[in-house]
Amino acid sequence: MERNAIIVAILRIFTERFEIENPGLDDNLRDAYEFDSIDAVELLHEIEVLLGTRLTRAEKKNAMDIRTIRQIADYIEALAAARAAEGAGGAAERLTSQES
Amino acid sequence: MARRVVITGASAITPIGRSRDEIVRHLVEGISGVKKLRNDGLLTEHIQSGVYGTVDYPIEYDFKRSHAKTMGPVSFYACQVSREALQAAGLDPAFITSGRLGVAFGSTHGSPSAQRNIYKTFFTERERGVAAIGAVDYLKSMVHTTAVNITKMFGITGRVISSSTACTTSSQSIGFGYEAVKYGMQDAMLCGGADEYDTTTVAVFDNLLACSTEFNATPHLTPRPFDAARDGLVVGEGAGAVLLEDYEHARKRGAPILGEVIGFSCTNNGGDLILPNVQGITRTLKLALEQAAIGPGAVDFVSAHATATKMGDVVEAQAIGGIYGDGPVVAGLKSYMGHTMGSCGAIEAILTLYMMQAGFIPRTLNLDHVDERCAMIRHALQLIERPVRIAAVQNFAFGGVNTCVMLKRFDG
Repeated sequence: MERNAIIVAILRIFTERFEIENPGLDDNLRDAYEFDSIDAVELLHEIEVLLGTRLTRAEKKNAMDIRTIRQIADYIEALAAARAAEGAGGAAERLTSQES
Repeated sequence: MARRVVITGASAITPIGRSRDEIVRHLVEGISGVKKLRNDGLLTEHIQSGVYGTVDYPIEYDFKRSHAKTMGPVSFYACQVSREALQAAGLDPAFITSGRLGVAFGSTHGSPSAQRNIYKTFFTERERGVAAIGAVDYLKSMVHTTAVNITKMFGITGRVISSSTACTTSSQSIGFGYEAVKYGMQDAMLCGGADEYDTTTVAVFDNLLACSTEFNATPHLTPRPFDAARDGLVVGEGAGAVLLEDYEHARKRGAPILGEVIGFSCTNNGGDLILPNVQGITRTLKLALEQAAIGPGAVDFVSAHATATKMGDVVEAQAIGGIYGDGPVVAGLKSYMGHTMGSCGAIEAILTLYMMQAGFIPRTLNLDHVDERCAMIRHALQLIERPVRIAAVQNFAFGGVNTCVMLKRFDG
């Protein structure tokens, strides 16, 4: 995914899911919008939908220190790149192993 | 040393209105809030009862997203009436967060609609398993969701009691809150109960043959407490909150005092979980009088649980007759609203406060021909304009739980 498309998608999620309009890229989401750990878990679900892939427990834990939209974009960009590198076969294998 | 406990704030969401004036108007004019059961696309077509005590007017909530995100409909109700009760009491914000104010609030089983969404998601997205269940779904649905959404919204740091005993949920809230203040554990308690629109509860009572089914085309003619033609209860929705406060604390800050709680009893039948029990109820009513340190002759009004089931009304009438004879006027307020489940104790207590303030007792709606087995007590067959000084609010629940809250008009 292109960086701009990721930002647009994040802002859409924040508007539709969290009723947060146009947050600044470097706003501390917890301080500015009371975005808490519950919201973070909801956001991870939205990211799974956005990327069409499941996140591992370790990947989810890595997200818990994220505080800004810019960091979320970095996180998604890295995930998308990792999934692309793994390729379709690798992703399928990954899903299968998770199911088991 | 025991303290006096007064009521300094109250608010209700009921099938017969929100404001004191609107509720009183329905009671005085004999207007029912029972409507036809809405089609929920799931259970309604399988339920024989077609009536429901319905809140069919819009309620404007002004809750922040950070508060609303963990609320199912039941917590919206609970937080709205809590906000209004706190506002009416005029408590200082510093007191609210001081730890000297606690919460006693419950519902029958949390938010059924949130639970329904969990199962719906779980079974329609099985490939995702438990990951399909949202982070907030449990917080919306859990049994104590009302109590803790209230503490979160107002920053309340005192004790939390979240009774969940079906029909005695909010009478226990008031009773346990009363005891917490009376014995000095807290200086004030925000007490009540709520239940949202839910067809699951109707299905449960319907299966037990306890629901009204003969008046589906004329909902306002049911339920019919103590009436010979009664055919069962009508499930309803609603919420009620009262702010209970140490009298000296309320007096010193010049709070408006709506009434006083002077006694509370809670017992169990110690046996069957469903059948009404005259010994258990009798013991509860007697204990409430003892706790209030008054005799039966001091009670002007009994708000009967009176769900309009075949046996429940008879047993309750026998117990009332045994304790009070035909002294106090007895009315079944569920005749106006149906059985608002976990909120009924709080709502019926609030309605009783309104009646004390206005000086009237409404007639039991649809009580056209008193069942001869219920005839030993003094029924409210028409609107009675008279002072109400002391009232007993009775509620009984599945599980054999019995409660009685004794209220007194505040005369200084």
